[in-house]
Amino acid sequence: MTTDTLTYQQAVWQRFRRRRSVRWALRGLYFGLFLALFADFLANDKPLFCQINGKTYFPVVQSYLVQLGWSHWDEPFTTEEWSEQKYTRVWYPLIPYSNTSIDHHNLSSTSPLEEQNVVSWRFRHWLGTDGVGHDVVAALVHGTRTALSAGMVAMLVASLIGIFLGALAGYFGDDGLYLTRIQVVFNLLAFPIGIFYGFGTPHYPAGEPLGVLGVSWGLLWLLGIQFLANVLAIALGRISWLGKKVRIPIDSLINRLIEVFDSVPTLLLILSMAAILARPNILYAMAIIGLISWTGIARLLRAEMLKIRQFQYIEAAQALGYSRWRIIFRHALPNALPPVLIAIAFGMASAILIEASLSVLGIGVAADTVTWGSLLRQISTTYHPEWWLAIFPGLAIFFSVLLFNYLGDGLSRAMDK
Amino acid sequence: MLQYIARRLLLFVPTLIVISFMAFGLRQLAPGDPVDTLNKSGKGEMTGDLATIERAYYEKARLLQLDKPTFYFVINASAYPDTFFRVVQRARRQTLDAILQQSGNWAAVSHYFISLQHLDQAVRNLPDSLRGETSVQTQRNVQDLQVTAQIPLIKKRVELLKQRLATNPKLAASLKQATANLQQQFDLLQTQTQFWRLYLPSFKWYGLDNQYHHWVVGCLKGNLGISYVDGQPVTDKIKAALNWTLLINVFSIFLAYLFAVPLGVYAARRKDKWQDRVIGFFLFALFALPSFWVAIMLLVLFTTPELGMQFFTVTGISDLAEGATFAERLTANIRHLILPVICLTYGSLAYIARQMRGAMLQTLDQDFIRTARAKGIPERKVIWRHAFRNALFPMITLFGTIFPSMLAGSILVESVFNIPGMGKLAIGAIGQQDWPVVYAVLMIGAVLTMLGILFSDLLYAWADPRISAT
Repeated sequence: MTTDTLTYQQAVWQRFRRRRSVRWALRGLYFGLFLALFADFLANDKPLFCQINGKTYFPVVQSYLVQLGWSHWDEPFTTEEWSEQKYTRVWYPLIPYSNTSIDHHNLSSTSPLEEQNVVSWRFRHWLGTDGVGHDVVAALVHGTRTALSAGMVAMLVASLIGIFLGALAGYFGDDGLYLTRIQVVFNLLAFPIGIFYGFGTPHYPAGEPLGVLGVSWGLLWLLGIQFLANVLAIALGRISWLGKKVRIPIDSLINRLIEVFDSVPTLLLILSMAAILARPNILYAMAIIGLISWTGIARLLRAEMLKIRQFQYIEAAQALGYSRWRIIFRHALPNALPPVLIAIAFGMASAILIEASLSVLGIGVAADTVTWGSLLRQISTTYHPEWWLAIFPGLAIFFSVLLFNYLGDGLSRAMDK
Repeated sequence: MLQYIARRLLLFVPTLIVISFMAFGLRQLAPGDPVDTLNKSGKGEMTGDLATIERAYYEKARLLQLDKPTFYFVINASAYPDTFFRVVQRARRQTLDAILQQSGNWAAVSHYFISLQHLDQAVRNLPDSLRGETSVQTQRNVQDLQVTAQIPLIKKRVELLKQRLATNPKLAASLKQATANLQQQFDLLQTQTQFWRLYLPSFKWYGLDNQYHHWVVGCLKGNLGISYVDGQPVTDKIKAALNWTLLINVFSIFLAYLFAVPLGVYAARRKDKWQDRVIGFFLFALFALPSFWVAIMLLVLFTTPELGMQFFTVTGISDLAEGATFAERLTANIRHLILPVICLTYGSLAYIARQMRGAMLQTLDQDFIRTARAKGIPERKVIWRHAFRNALFPMITLFGTIFPSMLAGSILVESVFNIPGMGKLAIGAIGQQDWPVVYAVLMIGAVLTMLGILFSDLLYAWADPRISAT
């Protein structure tokens, strides 16, 4: 196949794959995704398969069903620990420890080099244990899941905000968006009213802190009321005085907003937001990271849209009388999106870094979550020179950041940005 | 030029306002009762009878200006009274708020609560002859009721209270009036609901005498409030910390530029040769290296006795006598700052060097360089006289992006190396729920970042006069 028969995406992919660093980064990414997806099957204190008293169990699979409430544990498992069971046959996962299981025989920071109090080499802690007896390998495997999902959730939130605002700013510019007077007034009025009905009225249990559900409901109300106000305003806009058009300098407004978010010290803001969470949870911390780090995506998309709106096919679409939302979402945005991947790749790197920083400081993360950063925290708080707790999680963070930086760099070169 | 500076400074104002909203809003959402936090630190114990406790509480609250409305106005349900902010105790306000959410009738809610407080006072005023097991438990029941927000639960607890009193007729007789009143008010609370008032928004204007206004005016005058933990002015704490943070950051930026610029030029001159590849790889890796990890590794390396490398005392800045000046402290502690500065420097160094290489390559590609070479000017002169100066321009704007990220990095590095800077101050304050300090640091950090960006823009405008013209 020659180059000119390739679509743009294919050509970029080919140019992207040509670099050796990118190929290694992609392999690393696949490996990380594999670890994250199958963490429970790779490192778990429950056996994959076992026989007790003539009965056969698949405890790892069953644990998913138990979590969903579709199954329950039988007698021997509820009373005894997994490691104390009398198995007739048993297959353990590759690492016979999970990130929460505590090895009572190797409680305080066992080095990978020194003699360990284990049954056989099969149960050896290859990278040692931490201060409370967690296996370091298991923590690294499960930490991959936390780190990658931190990056993904953060980037999902950031992309939603960044793409929307960037597209608005870039497509309309300062002189492209006109609203009727009544629309301006109604939108300004609808916002506080939407906030009131979304978050100020009792549709979540009184006195309870707002959860994910409460926030989603509130946002839904807010959007619904904003939508209603616009419908009403468009209807009222037929009256000539009310329907007079006002220019909205949307580009300047959004740029100012980006400037505001850029001048707030991100880590400090995330720390202070995460610290006030009623129930520390890694998921909320991730969403907060996303809420703050959308500016890179918005800026990139804005620049791209500014370029695209000059193209003739957009002019043609305008001439055909398509609505502006249709042009933005169906015609302009799909062509502006690929470069956003660059910002997302770099954003993943910084989100993983911020998540690690949060766990190192122990802020916004539940105390019993074992992540890459939480292993490092033990070093920085105790001053015990446990090198294996410093090196391995640090390497994991370093390689994942490096990987996403390589991907971002490769993408930007492949797209000639 | 002056006009350009003035315009840029004017743009500061809206940004600062939004950031102040953010900081202040987060402070309102922060958990914990400030007055309780202040009390926990041992400044003034609260003992004595109910009225004294309340009075002491209100005095503290007035000191922290918590007895004022939060903002210039509020938009909430019309069920809330104008004076809801006067319920200063945070826990009590939340309880009342939750009860109101189930009733909508403020008069009924407040009457119920007042009757509850009367009962509390009545139990406290019991003569000694009536005190005993039952009275103590009654008092506990009444106190439980004061923090109970769910109406069904209140109902259960009121029943429990009445059952308890029924076992001791003498006690019941002396508290008869108060209990009957409570029961009556509670019945009214349940029957006289006004749910519609919860769904009717209302706008309440409070004017300038509010917490936000006083806070902002204070900030502008350089008074950032009072720390919840020790009652010290936040400004003093920050002044001391800011010195350290600025010192290590400015020094690190200087070092980063000092080493990165020649490195970038060298890599550009050896473009695509093995030197360029090696430098490129190391810079990329350095850039991805988390500074807090390097900090921890250095800490482990230089504190482990077995490794025999205790060149640096890393246990933190030692405290000199009270009267010691900053300069004295600095000379005494300069050895402690070496490792933190290294941790802060290498990341920006990698970034600047990569950018410098790119800028240099771009400049070397231009026509005037080809002309210079064609004239027979020696390569060294072409690089340093002609190309280098032009490639240096974009490096100035990098300052605006490096400075904020460095400030962020110094939060973690400071807490690992125990340097009493802004980062350590903020982390410590978050741990102690000392919100005025946290949000003051947030504001100062934002202002510093904006000043950094402004500084780099001004430098650029000074270097390239075409900028300020547009």
